[in-house]
Amino acid sequence: MNKTEDSSPPSALILVADDDEDIRRLLRFRLERAGYGVIEARDGEEALALALEHRPDLAVMDVMMPKATGYEVTRRLREDESTRKIPVILLTARAQEADVSRGFEAGADDYLRKPFSPQELRARVHAILGRR
Amino acid sequence: MVEFLTSCAVVLAGLGGVAAAVLGLRRLTLARAEQRRLDAEARLIPAALELLDGMEPVGEVSEQDVDVFAALLGRFGRLVRGVESERIAEFFEHHGWVDYELGRLNSRRPWRRATAAFALGDMGSSRAIPALIQRLQDSEPDVRAAVARSLGRLGATDAVESVVGGFASGRLPGSVAGQALLSIGSSAVRGLRVLNEAEDPAARAFAVELIGLLGDASDEDVLVECLRDTSAEVRANAARALGRVGAEGATLELAERLDDGVVLVRAAAAAALAAVGDHRVVARLVELAQQDEFESARAAAEAAAQLDPEGVKRASSAAGSAVHLNEAADLLELYA
Amino acid sequence: MIRVALEVLAVAALAYFAALNGIYLVFTIIAWRGLTSHRRQRRYAAVDEAFASPLTPGISVVLPAYNEAAGIVDSVRSLLALRYPAHEVVVVNDGSRDATLERLRTAFDLVPIRKALRDELQTAPVRGVFASRVERGLIVVDKENGGKADALNCGLNASRHEYICAVDADAMLEEDALIRVAQPVLDDPELVAASGGIVRIANGCTVDHGRVVDVALPRSSLARLQVVEYFRAFLVGRMGWSRLDALLIVSGAFGLFNRELVEEVGGWSSRTVGEDIELVIALHDHLRRRGERYRIDFVPDPVCWTECPEDLRALASQRRRWQRGLGESLWRHRRMTANPRYGFLGLVAIPYFIVFEFVGPLMQVLGYPIVLAAFLTGAVSLAFVGAFLAMAVLLGILLSVSALGLEELSFRRYTRARDTATLFVYAVLENLGYRQLNDFWKLQAFAELLRRKGEWGEMRRRGLGLQSPPS
Repeated sequence: MNKTEDSSPPSALILVADDDEDIRRLLRFRLERAGYGVIEARDGEEALALALEHRPDLAVMDVMMPKATGYEVTRRLREDESTRKIPVILLTARAQEADVSRGFEAGADDYLRKPFSPQELRARVHAILGRR
Repeated sequence: MVEFLTSCAVVLAGLGGVAAAVLGLRRLTLARAEQRRLDAEARLIPAALELLDGMEPVGEVSEQDVDVFAALLGRFGRLVRGVESERIAEFFEHHGWVDYELGRLNSRRPWRRATAAFALGDMGSSRAIPALIQRLQDSEPDVRAAVARSLGRLGATDAVESVVGGFASGRLPGSVAGQALLSIGSSAVRGLRVLNEAEDPAARAFAVELIGLLGDASDEDVLVECLRDTSAEVRANAARALGRVGAEGATLELAERLDDGVVLVRAAAAAALAAVGDHRVVARLVELAQQDEFESARAAAEAAAQLDPEGVKRASSAAGSAVHLNEAADLLELYA
Repeated sequence: MIRVALEVLAVAALAYFAALNGIYLVFTIIAWRGLTSHRRQRRYAAVDEAFASPLTPGISVVLPAYNEAAGIVDSVRSLLALRYPAHEVVVVNDGSRDATLERLRTAFDLVPIRKALRDELQTAPVRGVFASRVERGLIVVDKENGGKADALNCGLNASRHEYICAVDADAMLEEDALIRVAQPVLDDPELVAASGGIVRIANGCTVDHGRVVDVALPRSSLARLQVVEYFRAFLVGRMGWSRLDALLIVSGAFGLFNRELVEEVGGWSSRTVGEDIELVIALHDHLRRRGERYRIDFVPDPVCWTECPEDLRALASQRRRWQRGLGESLWRHRRMTANPRYGFLGLVAIPYFIVFEFVGPLMQVLGYPIVLAAFLTGAVSLAFVGAFLAMAVLLGILLSVSALGLEELSFRRYTRARDTATLFVYAVLENLGYRQLNDFWKLQAFAELLRRKGEWGEMRRRGLGLQSPPS
C-alpha cells in the first residue's frame, strides 16, 4: 500500500482546498504517500468549516475558490483563536507582486504558483511542519 | 417552378428530419461513450498519479486504455511543473507519442496540425520546440494559436523573439502571444529586452508591457530608455512597467513623464509613482489632481493618497478642493 | 380581374416566403461554420489562463436599477462574484420608489463618498454616490429618475475601467460570462468595439441566490416556444450576422462596450425604447464614417439567463417594444440605408432588416389569407397551395429544428434527453401559429411607429414645439 517516506508524525492532518478536483487528487495522493492525513474542501466555505471542526496542522488552499477566496479564509483563520496558528500555503495561478503581498498580508506563510510541482509542495509542507 | 420549389422544400425538410434523427442517435452514443470514458478514467487515475510520483505503475496500461491514459496525463500535465512534468514527457517519449505528433504537425489537414501542436504542449517534451517554432509561420490562425500556447507550456525561451514577432505582424492575437510569454516566465525577459529596438511601435509596446510583468528591478535601465520613446503607447507601457517591477531608482524619470503631452502617459506615470514614488513628487501629483484631465487627475490623486495620505486628507478638507482629491481622501478614510 | 390580382399577390407571397426562409437557411450554414470554428478556438483560448492573466483589461459592470428591491442584493452579489481579474460593479439607482437603495445600503454597508464623475454625458441629477465598507469593488450611484438609457450613461460617468459591461437587473450571469464575453477584446484590444453574449431563458431553471444551478425547460408552452425561438434568434441569427461583420444587435441584458467609443457616440439614447439596438447601430455608423477597422462580435458561450414573459399580453407588449426600438433606431440612422459607404452593413444588412422585419410582416400576416382566397376563387391550384405551405411552414420548421440541432452540436445545455425531445416538438409547433403571431405584433408596432411619426408631424405643424417622441 502507501509507503511512508519519512518520519513526520503520522497523525499530521492537512486541509486541501481547491475547486479543481484534479488538484485535490494530486495533493491527496502526494501528501498521503508522505504519511499525512488529508481532508478536502471544494470551496472557501467548506474550507473554513472543516478547519474549524478538525483543526488541521496545515492548510493548502487555492486562492480563487467559489464562495470565499483563499485570502478571505486565511484572514478568518487568523481571526479565530482556535485556528490562528494553522500555517497556510496559498496556491494560485496568478503570481504578481501584488498578489503575493496580498497573500502575506492576509496571513499566509507561503505562496506557490500554479502550475506547481507536488514534490516541491510536499517539501515545503515538511519544512513548515518540521519547524513545529 | 412551383413544383420545383415544393420538391426542394420537401427534400430539405426530409433531410432535416433525417438530421434530427441522426443527432438524437448521436446524443445517445455520445452519452454511452462518455460513460465508458469516465469509467476508464476512474480505473486509470491511480496509475497516472503513481507515474507522476515516480513510482512504477502497478500493472500495464492496456491498448484501448492508452488514449484515456494519455488524455489523463495531459490533463494533469497542465497543472504541474518541474520533475512531474519531466516524468510525463518521459512517458510520452517512451511510447513514441511525441514522434507521432511531430509527424502530424506536418499534416495537410489544418485541424490535425492544430491538435498535434496542442498535444505536444501537453506532453511536455522540449524536443518538440524547434518544430513548433517553425509552425508559428503556419497559414492557419488556429494552428498558430495552438503552437504559441504549447511553446508557452514548454517554457521555450528560444521562441520569445518569434512569438513577439508573431504578435507584431498580426499573426498571433495579443492574448495568445502574451499568455505564451507569461507562461515561459522570467527567462523570456532577455529576449524581450532586445525587442525594444524593434521598428514597429506595437511590438515595442508589447515587449515593454511584458517586461513589466516578468522582469524585476534590474530591468530598470531598458524601461527608463523606453520612457523617451516616440510612441505614446510605449512610453505609457514603460511607465506602468517601472511601477510593476518596483524600480525605485526611476522616480525622477517617471516624474518627468508627469509633464508628457499625452494624457495616457501622464496617467501611467502617476500610477507607477504610487508604487515607487516618494515625498518629492507629491506636490506635483496634487497639482495634476487639481488641474489635469480626468484620467490623469484621477491617477495622480490616487498616487498622492498612497504616498502622503495625511496630506491628501488635509487638502481635501480645504474649501473648493478638487473632486479627485476628495474622492481619494474619502476612500482613504473608508478603507484605512 | 380579381382572380388575376389574387394570383399575382399569391405568387408574391410565395416568392417572399421562399426568399425569407431561403436566406435564413444560408444564415444557418454560416452560423454552423461559425460555431464549429468557435468551438475549436475555445480549446486554445485557455480561459483559465486568461483569468489569471494580468493582460486582461478592466471591466466596469454597470447595472441600472429601478424598483428592484426584491432581487437587487442577490444580483449585485453574483456580479461581484464573477470570475474576472479586474472588475468593478457600478449600480445606478434610477430614482427607485421602493427600498432598492435601502436594501443595498444594509447589505453592503454603504458609506457616502465624494466621487469624481465624468461629465461627457449629460444625465438626470445625481443625488449621491456610495462605496461599500465590505466590498471594495462596488459603487452605488443614487440619482433622480431618468430612464434606463440615462441610468446607463450615469453609470458610465462613474466607471473607472476601459470597458463597460451593461447588464439588466434581472439578468443572471454565469460565473465565466465576463471573461468569455471579453475574449474578442483580449484577442484584439485595438479592434473590438463591442461584444455580446447569448441570452437564455431561465424560466423553469433552478435559481439559487442569483445563479442558475440547474438547467431545465419551462413548464408553460409559451415559454417553451420562446426557448426555441431564442435558439434561432441567437445561435443562428446573431452568430450569422456576426460572421458577416454586420451585427446590429447586442443584447441590452448583457453587452460589453469600449467606454471611450460609447462616449464618442453620445452614450445610450433616451429618445428610443430600443436604446441597446440604437447604441450598436450608432457605433457602426460612427466607426464606418471614420473609416476605421473595427469588429462587433457575438460570442456564443458567455451566458446570461433572463426570465421571459409567460402570458400573451406581456409577451406582445415586449415584442412590440422591441420592434419599435428597432424601427426608431434604424430611422435615426437612416442615412446608412443602401449607402455604399457603409459597405455590407448598409447595402445588405440594413435593407434586409427593413424588408424582412418591417415591410415583411405585412406579407407574413396577409400571405395566408391571400393564398386561401386565391385558391378558393380558383386563381391558383392546390399544388400551389402545397408549395406555399412548404415554403412558409415546412421550411420554417426546418429552420427551427436546425437551430435546435446547432445547440445540440455545440452547447447542449439541456442535458435531459426528454427536454431535447420536447424542444423538438416545440420547434415544429413554433411555426404553426407562434411565428405568425409574432409577425402580427411586429405589424402592430410598425403601424404604431407610422402613426407616431404622423402624430409628431401633426403636432409640430400645430406649433406645440415638442422636441422628440417620448421613450
